[in-house]
Amino acid sequence: MIHLAKEDIKHTFGKFIVTAMGVGMLLGIVLIMIGVYRGMIVDAEVLLDDLAVDLWIVQENTLGPFAESSRVHEDLKNTIKAIEGIDKSEAITFQNIQLPRADKKVRVMAVGYDIFGEINPINPQRLIAGRTLKHDHYEIVVEEKTGFRLYDKIKLSRHYYTVVGVTHGAVSSGGDSLVYISLKDAQELQFSYSNKRIHSDRARGIYNKDSHMVNAVIATVKDGYSIDEIADTIQKWHHKSVYTKEEQKIVLTRNLIEKASKQIGLFTAILILVSTIIIALIIYTMTLEKMKEISIMKLIGLPNSTIIKMIVEETLLLGIFAFIFGNIFSHLIYSKFPKRVVLEIPDAWMLFAIIIIASILASFIGVKKVINADPTAAIGG
Amino acid sequence: MSAQQAIKVENLNKSFGSGDTFVDVIHDASFTIYKGELVALVAPSGAGKTTLLMMIGCVDTPVSGKIWIGDEKVYDNKWLTKTTRKIRREKLGFIFQAHYLIPFLNVIDNLVLLPQANKVDEKVAKTKARELLKYFDIAEKEKAMPSQLSGGQNQRVAIARALVNDPEIILADEPTAALDSARSIDVVKMLKKIAKEQNVAIVMVTHDERVLPYCDKIMKIENKKTVFEDVSAVK
Ligand SMILES: Nc1ncnc2c1ncn2[C@@H]1O[C@H](COP(=O)(O)OP(=O)(O)OP(=O)(O)O)[C@@H](O)[C@H]1O
Ligand SMILES: [Mg+2]
Repeated sequence: MIHLAKEDIKHTFGKFIVTAMGVGMLLGIVLIMIGVYRGMIVDAEVLLDDLAVDLWIVQENTLGPFAESSRVHEDLKNTIKAIEGIDKSEAITFQNIQLPRADKKVRVMAVGYDIFGEINPINPQRLIAGRTLKHDHYEIVVEEKTGFRLYDKIKLSRHYYTVVGVTHGAVSSGGDSLVYISLKDAQELQFSYSNKRIHSDRARGIYNKDSHMVNAVIATVKDGYSIDEIADTIQKWHHKSVYTKEEQKIVLTRNLIEKASKQIGLFTAILILVSTIIIALIIYTMTLEKMKEISIMKLIGLPNSTIIKMIVEETLLLGIFAFIFGNIFSHLIYSKFPKRVVLEIPDAWMLFAIIIIASILASFIGVKKVINADPTAAIGG
Repeated sequence: MSAQQAIKVENLNKSFGSGDTFVDVIHDASFTIYKGELVALVAPSGAGKTTLLMMIGCVDTPVSGKIWIGDEKVYDNKWLTKTTRKIRREKLGFIFQAHYLIPFLNVIDNLVLLPQANKVDEKVAKTKARELLKYFDIAEKEKAMPSQLSGGQNQRVAIARALVNDPEIILADEPTAALDSARSIDVVKMLKKIAKEQNVAIVMVTHDERVLPYCDKIMKIENKKTVFEDVSAVK
C-alpha cells in the first residue's frame, strides 16, 4: 500500500520537521499559558489549604485581605473565641514587603501570626530546614525561592531578622513567596510609622497610635457545629464580614483568577487561531507546490478521494508532529518560568483534540485547490 | 479476423471561448482507430492535436459528437458516466512529453499507484510492475526516485506506468520530444511492439518526421477535420 502523505513528507522531511517545530513552539507556548493558569489556581489555594481554618472574619463589607484592605482589632479573636462552637481563633496579618538581598529586592508576602497562639499557619510538611518561629521578635521563616538560607540576616525596617526556617512551595495567591514573622513584628512593620513621621505627627499633636490591628481573624469550628450558622451569627452580631474557607477560595478565584483566566484564555485562543492559520498556509503552499503532480494524478485517473486523503493526512501529521514538539518544548522550558507552571495531561489532550480539529479545518483550502485543479493544466501546450 | 475497434469518434466538435475569443478547433471530425494500431497524429502547432487527444482521453469535454472507448459509448453530446476518471483509470494510459512521474514516489510506487486505485491486489500489481520494468530494461532502478534517473530512463518508466493498468488505449503526446533521435526511434519501436504484443491502440502526437515510418497510420488535422494519410508515402 502506497502512503502518499508519508512518501511526500519523506521527500521533504527536513522542511516538514522544521515547520512542525515552528508550529510546535507556538503550541508549546499555548501549553505553558494553560500551565500558568493552572499554576495560579494551585498557588491561590496553597495559603488557604495550609491554614486549614473554617472561618475568616474580616472588616465589615470587605472581601478580606486577599482582595482589598481589611482591618480588624486584634482583640476580636477573644470575642470570636467566646462564641459557642468556636474551637480555636487567632489574629493574622498579610502584607507585601520587599526583602533586601545583596543584588536586588525580593517581593514576598509576609504572614504575621501569634507564635504563642493555637493556629500555626506554617505547614510543617513544607518546612525543609530549620524550625517555625519561637521568639516574639526578629525571627523569620522564608521560602527557598527567595534565595535566603538558614541563619541569614535580613534587615526590615529598623531591625535585623534571622532566618530560622526555610519552606518549599509556600506562595501567595499572587505567586509571591510567603514568609512568616511574628504578629508583633508584622504589626510594627505594617502599622507603625518611621521616626520622622512620628516626630512630625507629635509636632502636630497626634499621639494616638493603635498598632493592635490585624487584617483578619481566623477560626476553626468544633465538630458538631454548623460552620454556616456560626458565620451568620458573627456577621449579625459583630458587624464583620465572615467567609468560610470555600467562600474565601471563591473570592480568590473570582477576584484574582477570573481576569487572569480571561486574559490567558484570550491569548490561548489567539495562539491557537494563529497556529491554525499557519498550518493552513503551510498546507496550502505545500499543495501549490504539488499542483502539477496533482493534475497528473487526476489526469491518469486517480480519484479525488486519494488526493484529498493525502492532503488531509499531511495536515494531520503536521498537527501531530507540532503537538509532540510543543509538548517537548513546554517541558523543556516550563521550569524556567518565575511563577508556578502546572502542565496537566488532560490539558494536553484537550489541546490535541483542538489541534486535530484545527488541522482538518486548515486542510480545507488545500483540499479545495485539489478539487478545482484542472487535469489538463499538467500537460500545458 | 477483423480488427477490433478501440476508439470511435463521430461528428466531434470542439471550440473554445465565445465572441471575440471564439476559436473553432475541431469541426465535425469522424474516425475509427483499431486495437493493435500505432497511429501518429501530425499537424502544425495549434491545430488541435492535444485538444483532440484530451477529448479521446475523456479529459477535455467536446462541444458535441459521439465517442466510443472500445465498445462502450462514453460520450453522446454529454458524458454518459458520472465520472470519466474511472474510464481513464481502467482503460487508458497516458504518456507525455515530459515524464510526469510523481517526484516523491520511487519508480515502483509510481507504477503501482494506479492499479492500487483500481483495487488490484498489491502483490499482483507489483509483479506486473516489475515485469514491465524488466521489459524496459530498468528493473534495477525500481527503488530509485525519478530525480535520480536520466530523461530516457524516466520516459521509459512513464511508458511502463501507461501500461501497468493493461489499458485498451495509450494516448501519447509528443513522447519523444525530450529525447535524442536514436532514443526517439527506440521509444517508437517500443510503442509499436507494445501495440502488437498487447493488442493496444496507441495514438501518438509527434512532430518528428523520422519516427513516422515506424507507425501504422498517420492521422492529420486538416481544416479542423481528421484525415488519414497513407503511411507508405513516408516509408
Ligand atoms: N483552454 C483553452 N482555452 C482557449 N483556447 C484553447 C485552450 N486550449 C487550447 N486552445 C486553443 O486550441 C487550439 C489547439 O490547441 P492545442 O493545444 O490542441 O494545439 P496542438 O496541436 O496540441 O499544438 P502544439 O503542437 O503546439 O502542442 C489552439 O489555437 C489553442 O490556442
Ligand atoms: Mg499540443
